Amino acid sequence: MAVLEKDAMLYLAENAVNSALAKGAAEAEAYVYEGQATSVGIERGQITKSNRIIDRGLGMRVSVNKAIGFAYTNIIGSQSAIEKAIVKALSAARASKPDSDWNGLPEKKPCASAEKTFDRKVLALRPEDLVDTASVMLDAAANADKRVFPIEGGAGAAYVANAIANSNGVAGFDKGTVIECSLAAIAKEGSKVTPVCFEFNAERSCNVNAGWVGKEAARLAVSALKTKRIETKNTKLILTQFALQDLLYFTLINAVKADNVQRGQSAFKGKIGAKIASENVTIYDDGLFQGGLRTGAFDGEGAPHQKTLLVEKGVLRNFLYDNYAAKKEGRESTGNAARAGYLSTPSVEATNFHIMPGGTAAEELMSEVDDGLIIYYLQGAHSSNPVSGEFSVVATPAWKIKKGEIVHCSRGVMLAGNIFEVLKNVSAIASNDRKMGQLISPWMLVENVKVIGK
Amino acid sequence: MAVQKFGAEYAEVRAQSLSKTMLTLKEGRVEAAKQGIEDGVALRVLVNGAWGFASVGSLDAVILTSAVSDACKMAKAASSRLKTPIKLAETKTVEDRVHVKPKKNPSEIRMEDKIKTALSVNKAILGFDKRVKSCTIDYLDLTGTSYFVNSEGTCIEQDKLYVWSRVTASAVSKGVFTFSREEIGSTAGYEVFDIETPELIGAKVAKRAVEQLAAKSPKGGTFPVVLGPNVVGVFVHEAFGHLAEADLALSGGVLSSNLGKKIASDVVTFYDDGTISGAFGSFKYDDEGVPAQKTLLINDGVVTGLMHNRETAQKFNAEPTGNARAEDFRVEPIIRMRNTFMAPRDHSLEELVEGIRAGYYFKSFRGGQANIDGTFQVGIQEAYEIVNGEIGGPIRNASISGNTLETLFKVDAAGKDFELWPGRCGKGQTAFICDGGPHIRLKEVTVGGSA
Repeated sequence: MAVLEKDAMLYLAENAVNSALAKGAAEAEAYVYEGQATSVGIERGQITKSNRIIDRGLGMRVSVNKAIGFAYTNIIGSQSAIEKAIVKALSAARASKPDSDWNGLPEKKPCASAEKTFDRKVLALRPEDLVDTASVMLDAAANADKRVFPIEGGAGAAYVANAIANSNGVAGFDKGTVIECSLAAIAKEGSKVTPVCFEFNAERSCNVNAGWVGKEAARLAVSALKTKRIETKNTKLILTQFALQDLLYFTLINAVKADNVQRGQSAFKGKIGAKIASENVTIYDDGLFQGGLRTGAFDGEGAPHQKTLLVEKGVLRNFLYDNYAAKKEGRESTGNAARAGYLSTPSVEATNFHIMPGGTAAEELMSEVDDGLIIYYLQGAHSSNPVSGEFSVVATPAWKIKKGEIVHCSRGVMLAGNIFEVLKNVSAIASNDRKMGQLISPWMLVENVKVIGK
Repeated sequence: MAVQKFGAEYAEVRAQSLSKTMLTLKEGRVEAAKQGIEDGVALRVLVNGAWGFASVGSLDAVILTSAVSDACKMAKAASSRLKTPIKLAETKTVEDRVHVKPKKNPSEIRMEDKIKTALSVNKAILGFDKRVKSCTIDYLDLTGTSYFVNSEGTCIEQDKLYVWSRVTASAVSKGVFTFSREEIGSTAGYEVFDIETPELIGAKVAKRAVEQLAAKSPKGGTFPVVLGPNVVGVFVHEAFGHLAEADLALSGGVLSSNLGKKIASDVVTFYDDGTISGAFGSFKYDDEGVPAQKTLLINDGVVTGLMHNRETAQKFNAEPTGNARAEDFRVEPIIRMRNTFMAPRDHSLEELVEGIRAGYYFKSFRGGQANIDGTFQVGIQEAYEIVNGEIGGPIRNASISGNTLETLFKVDAAGKDFELWPGRCGKGQTAFICDGGPHIRLKEVTVGGSA
């Protein structure tokens, strides 16, 4: 199905805003979304399915006497369904309670343009092309080692566009593409089965490296076959991007969200200017990062994306704001309002959370570890205490490093501690920057983490 | 018609019309009152042994026709390198209409009253103790109808009704932050709040957050433990349930080679049951039109069955169990749990605790996860020491981990009590589920702690 054009989407949004105002809204904001995704799926070593999803919708946010109502519909081809959603948003606002901290929707501001986020070639991909991509990946895994069994994965291409308009004159349109492939594999030897080892590559333009994904998933799975117990002690860890993404999403990223700070839900309350991490750590939130997976011109309420310094050489410099949290403090939004398509109201979220790379190559970082572990996959990070930062997770598995080399893996190894202590103990950061969801990060070397062996 | 033109072996259509109400309150502030309408159709076809799936957010005939041809073309493309074609187990065709009859239909409750209920929860939490500093209340209700038709003649109209709420609170004192969470969920109706009253649930969440302020960190290591029904539920779901999903078993999971074998102690009997009236994981027909049933997974320690869809049932030469579920029309049905639990036995809590000289009582979980090799982790939000056979002071931020096949043999006694808890499970899509059981004792398990 052809995609909706910029003018058509903006027209839908602006029309809905005008209609809401005419129906009695004090303020109105309309968000129009279109997503088209094609994918092929791998199950148990072969390509078995192909999916295509077309999802469009409109989300309407209105204020009436400082009370907020929201409604959505996915029936945007029908003017009467849109009018119905507007009426529902208004009735929800009227049923709700006024919020004295509500200081209005965002004002109109110039946006920079997002770079390297759209590739026409992705739009033209057919299921057959994705079958080829997935096959390259499967073949690479199969050729790497006979003991490898790919259990699931696939290749997908997506187009996402959104238009936003509000009663302050904000009007924006942005579109982007993503192509990705992923493979989860195990290795089997006799009755021995490894944990699931996973690799993926996601890009905004048409250049994923499917062969590398297949090879790397296979390498990790095979290297997990040789297991040995390790003892309970405090040790050095290399945290790869997978582990960092899991650990930081539920702790550090929550702690720098201004709404959590304002509600006393962050360990960083009152800590601007304070040292919260080792001086090796510098972090930006960068909504304009070239080709970033969360890069776009503006956020979920039309505020311009920007690059915000969060942590500078270990010192906390800034928090992430949406329009509401910013106005509560008389500040400007940092462009961190995120939406789950048209289905939700905006909420504070990081864009591309970028931990700046250091000068050490990854291999060098590893070679300097005399005795420690390297951690890829974690289980249970979502059960961390989001406020205190305490975590108690299991590595599936942990790989033992001795004299700079991986010697075996170990199952059921638990890591316990506090993420904010971990950040203070970062002794080196590698140079291998990598995009992973909202995280852009290299490997980190951390000292003195409690490890419970089995 | 288009299906015949493309030579599909099988085709199914799932059309849905859904309405949602959502609320988020933070410290009594209504962030936004939200309502939504969504219509959509999911088409799934089997061509040359491969699946093609198309989802469109529309009930328009022209769009649907093009989606059918899309799905068939997709399946054809996917089949190009297929070695083992997909086949489906046979099922009886069904013609049925299933209507829910709630005492209180959430779609007929006014938004004002839903906000009032949430505000009562908020008041019960923030009024509990001065050290409780914040609370977030999320509320969702979903109502609507799902129509399922397939090329074999099955034709089902089925109402959907879900009421769900998550309540979280945090307490702060002397630099210590604690966090507490409860969920409620029902397929019966809004009357769930008459049992789980706002006052009750608010007090429960607030009390835990306050109690945790005085809690110590646990010692890491191997200990005997007693698990409460809430933790047993997530243990059954994570440590065993996912491995008993036939798709994961086929993918090299540890259960495929253990069918009919003893993998647990004699006191272990597990079920996955889609037929419990009003429970959050119940429904009459799954999203392949197969009736839900009560499935025995482990009987007295022996693996007796797996959870199937039509595709895996054919592979295992078993009956489909009615576990194929799709979150909505945007996604395809996959094997999901329903209400998964351990059957009770004969011990009292006192009897379970009395023999333990130094261990832990884990009462309520914060989250859990599992891996195909049998590694599981369950994070705990409410726990106590066990000292010389008695439950002692609170501990915080503990978690347990182990390997399923080792740990199930270490269940040495089970209680005579029973509780079922609602929850949500993620496997690419979200499913509403329940899990539970009695209190149980584990001879030993690895406890993750930082002390």
